[in-house]
Amino acid sequence: MFNFIHLSLQRVLNCLPGIALLLPATAFASNDIELRDSLINKAEDDVLWEKIEWMNLLHYNKENDGYLSQVDDVRFFYASDGSDNPRSELLETIKNLFIEKDDHNQQTQCRFVARTRWLVDQLDIDTRTLPVVRCDEYLEWRQLVQADSVTMVFPAYHLNSPSSMFGHTLLRLDNSEDARTDWLSYAVNFGADIDNSDNSLIYAYRGLAGGYPGIFIAEPYFKKIQEYNRIEHRDIWEYKLNLTAEETERLIQHLWELKTINFDYYFFDENCSYRLLELIEVARPEVELTDEFILTAIPVDTVRAIEHAQLIESVSYRPARATELQFILEGLSKQQRDIVLQLSEDIKTLDSDSFLRLSQKQQKTTVDLAYRYLRYLNTETSRDPATAKRSYQLLQKLNSYPVDIDISETLPTPLPPEKGHNSKRTTLGLGQRLTNNYAELGFKMSFHDLEDNKDGFLQGAQINIGSIKIRAEDNVGLRLYQLDFVDIFSLTPKSSFFDPLSWKIYTGFERQFTSNKDQLVYHLSGGAGGTWEIIKNHQFYALAIGRLEINKQLKNLIEPAIGFNTGFLSHFKHTTAHLQFSGEQFEDDVYRLRVQYIQNFAISTNHSIKLSAKHQWQDKDTDFSDINLNYQYYF
Amino acid sequence: MKKIIAGLALLSASSVAMADAPGGPNCGWGNMLFEGQSGLGAHIIASITNGTSGNNTFGMTTGTNGCSTSGTLTYGGKSMVSSIMGEFSEDVAAGEGDAMDTVAVIYGVEKQDRATFAKVMHENFAVIFPNEDVTADEMIASIEEVMKADKTLAKYIA
Repeated sequence: MFNFIHLSLQRVLNCLPGIALLLPATAFASNDIELRDSLINKAEDDVLWEKIEWMNLLHYNKENDGYLSQVDDVRFFYASDGSDNPRSELLETIKNLFIEKDDHNQQTQCRFVARTRWLVDQLDIDTRTLPVVRCDEYLEWRQLVQADSVTMVFPAYHLNSPSSMFGHTLLRLDNSEDARTDWLSYAVNFGADIDNSDNSLIYAYRGLAGGYPGIFIAEPYFKKIQEYNRIEHRDIWEYKLNLTAEETERLIQHLWELKTINFDYYFFDENCSYRLLELIEVARPEVELTDEFILTAIPVDTVRAIEHAQLIESVSYRPARATELQFILEGLSKQQRDIVLQLSEDIKTLDSDSFLRLSQKQQKTTVDLAYRYLRYLNTETSRDPATAKRSYQLLQKLNSYPVDIDISETLPTPLPPEKGHNSKRTTLGLGQRLTNNYAELGFKMSFHDLEDNKDGFLQGAQINIGSIKIRAEDNVGLRLYQLDFVDIFSLTPKSSFFDPLSWKIYTGFERQFTSNKDQLVYHLSGGAGGTWEIIKNHQFYALAIGRLEINKQLKNLIEPAIGFNTGFLSHFKHTTAHLQFSGEQFEDDVYRLRVQYIQNFAISTNHSIKLSAKHQWQDKDTDFSDINLNYQYYF
Repeated sequence: MKKIIAGLALLSASSVAMADAPGGPNCGWGNMLFEGQSGLGAHIIASITNGTSGNNTFGMTTGTNGCSTSGTLTYGGKSMVSSIMGEFSEDVAAGEGDAMDTVAVIYGVEKQDRATFAKVMHENFAVIFPNEDVTADEMIASIEEVMKADKTLAKYIA
């Protein structure tokens, strides 16, 4: 054991050639003022604080005429004005290199390992002139992180897990010597440090507005597999980065500097994804990844940024347990699926003729699937003794089959999310509504329509945030036609095994023709129902809808309505067709009924043509149509 | 290899800070097989901002959290094996899998002996998991008994 610790210290030392971590005492006085001042002069001559590495290490951003660090924690700076003065922070750090502390772990060399190393390199500091220190805490931690490579991890979205709406990214620190240990790799995460006493409303508000500090968190990767793959049913994409061992070392050293250090956390921009990109910039200063993320750091765009910077070495796919289960079930005959279902409900099925007639391999698969299905159902419930007993009996049975009956299945890898169409969209179209011809210009912040090219996206998942349409109409001129804030439509098919809810929430301004007046109204609509897959890629859905509308032509200031929304959605290789019937009845006697057909033709990943035809009937008013053809570009 | 293992055993200490302690107030390893996910609502809320409320945020733990540290594994190693008890039971039943490899690594089993580890675990499913109410603590004791009784694996149980 002793030998092993000695060896690894050696190894760490080798990784840090410039730093005196464990060196014998030297003849130099450690507070050598003359040396210190010469280093400061040299730093001043070189204007060292303007270098990109220093900017990255201290998380400075350009702000107006000066700089401001994103770190919101006095423990991270030596200079009192360090958070907005890169120069004074650098000079103060040099001075602190020579100040001896009783607790070596608080010494600059131990506390700010990456910073120290960079200064040593830049200023050619002879490390024997620095105080002799033992960085016990750092070395212990470095010992835990047995990593020499970095993987970016992207758990894909899953609409019925609301928190995953935009996905999420983290970094995994891997050991290339033994790939089988990736469950034990450190997963590095940036997240809000939550005060448990807050209730969820305050929580949501504070989370979005930046009321919680953000910190880096490191935990074993299996925790993340459990969280995403098993509990949230999200597929995980893993992008091995081509960072060298030296670059990885720099990232790990810098991570240590950020231990328990607080950042301001904002959900929409300076979120988990943004901070991870900053870590990669520290590792490889030549790349610039964070500049384009001014407004929103959508995690999939993070992956695009690292792809664009040519940081990806290889991609791998870790499907969710539920994805595997669904895939294997789809490959079975209806009869065998029925036996799986029966067996999951009743262990006596093992003695039934229908089970015993199966081949050994089919039996083993059936038992395995029944077990997995039972665990799937148990994901969100507390332990039930009968279910636990049946699960155990299924494992016992599974154990009785020979290991060499191989029932493993390799799932086909879908198109990775970053290969799908880009997040923003602009459209240009021509059409006719209420006998007026018009030209339409549209813009959408993010992200995906049901009819958009589905490659790389979850089928039946519409998430749109911030969408605007402006029309130039005959006889009217230029005017706002539609402004959506949020438009989410989740269609997940039901089956004999899975019973997901389909739901919709939609709010914004839209133009409505009511009592002979065409005007902008504000609405909030939402609903729930089910989706059924008729055959693969062809779905039918039906939802009950509730709606509130602010419309001067209606009786109440906020007029309530109930309605329905039903339709067929068909995905083909290059085109998606959507036929929709919907309607609402207001408390005021007004009703609306409409039929709409949309077909989108994908020309390439980021270009498509969309045809839309709608006809609407309503009482008191004549019925009317709106037909248009749009060119769509995703960027 | 040895250093990876030791590192991992230390690393694992982090897992308990976030884990629930279903087995009692003193120690987290009383969890039984097929424990459901309690507090899912809290989980969803926490994951919206990807938050944490644990105070151990960097994978470093000192102390033993009131758990017994007898046996081969450190406090951290035990808490990790108990955290993946469910996955491990599946792999032992099937005879292979990521959780099987992970437990082997936590015990310091070298690459060349991992197939033996998997085989021995598989053959002793009924010993390690005698019923559905087995606790993680009991499972760990049985794993070590089974390893001790095997001539290849005994050397990993000091």
